Amino acid sequence: MAGQIECSRRTVLRFAWSGMVAVGALSVKPLVDYLTSKEDQPRTSLVAYEKSLVEKTDWQHVPNSRVWVMRDDQGIAALVATCTHLGCEVTYHPERKQWLCPCHGSIYDTDGRPVEGPAPKALPRAAVERKADGSLIINTEKQVGLDARL
Amino acid sequence: MKDNFVNHLRPRFISDRALSVYYTFCLGGLSFLAFLMLGITGILLMFHYQPGTSSGFSSVLTIGSVIPYGSVIRNLHYWSAQLMVVTVNLHMVRVVWTHSYKPPKQLNWLVGVGLLVLVLVLDFTGYLLIGSQESGAAATVAANLLKQIPGLGTALAQIALGEPTALSGSTLIVYVWHCVALPLAAFWLQLYHFWRIRRDGGVRPL
Repeated sequence: MAGQIECSRRTVLRFAWSGMVAVGALSVKPLVDYLTSKEDQPRTSLVAYEKSLVEKTDWQHVPNSRVWVMRDDQGIAALVATCTHLGCEVTYHPERKQWLCPCHGSIYDTDGRPVEGPAPKALPRAAVERKADGSLIINTEKQVGLDARL
Repeated sequence: MKDNFVNHLRPRFISDRALSVYYTFCLGGLSFLAFLMLGITGILLMFHYQPGTSSGFSSVLTIGSVIPYGSVIRNLHYWSAQLMVVTVNLHMVRVVWTHSYKPPKQLNWLVGVGLLVLVLVLDFTGYLLIGSQESGAAATVAANLLKQIPGLGTALAQIALGEPTALSGSTLIVYVWHCVALPLAAFWLQLYHFWRIRRDGGVRPL
């Protein structure tokens, strides 16, 4: 026969408290992981442009993105319209042939080179690929030079 | 003031017989514990769940597969809900068994019936929010049942369920009922339910 276990109410309550504290401490990391997870947000660097852009054209905005595409004599180029100063979205003004940043007044020329304001670098260009059906896929993660064309 | 409030949460005395586990089996307490668990896990699920006939099911799948610890939280929510429906029903059986519905506790019996309905509707709306094909079928049946009510039926179905499709019962309207309106109602009604027990003389064999 086992001896009787001494177990006062205080012991039981203390045991329960430490159990709760332990569970609380152990669930901090899972909770932070869960709450900060961005897995369910669509996160693709690929932007699709439905038109095939056969004719020469000035910068065209790709809907629901920051990407603009154009075609000149050399071919198709894509530009990401994020200001190189602090990341605001810049817009192309075709009548001025310039990119304007609404935040701090940076101005870029039509190729995206900085002309005025605090912007330190040219607007980034992204790689363009053509799919089988003729539409374009722009990979915003893949930066290319100013002269790169498709 | 703090001491005063905390001390008022406790009764001045509890009879030995009221502490007997075999009298109530603590089924109401278990139900409340499940309810608290459902509240906590439910708030957590709201951070990643997206209601809507097209987004509901896929966000449930995402929570269950790629979100870290998402499946633990969802399963805790799901199983707490199943447990609560079981314990609430057993609690009702116990109350009938021990004749605890009789005066002076007749009002608390009615409150309990209201809570039972709330819990069942919460369980049902939770099932709809999964957004699976089964939930679409269930929502369609519920909407058609409500529409049988002459005059008010169509409006009632719209207020209760929105416009679920046959393929998914997850709508914004069901979401609001399930996550805000019904839990709040159930919570306050439960507090009243517990207060009434004390008011009617506490847990004791009549």
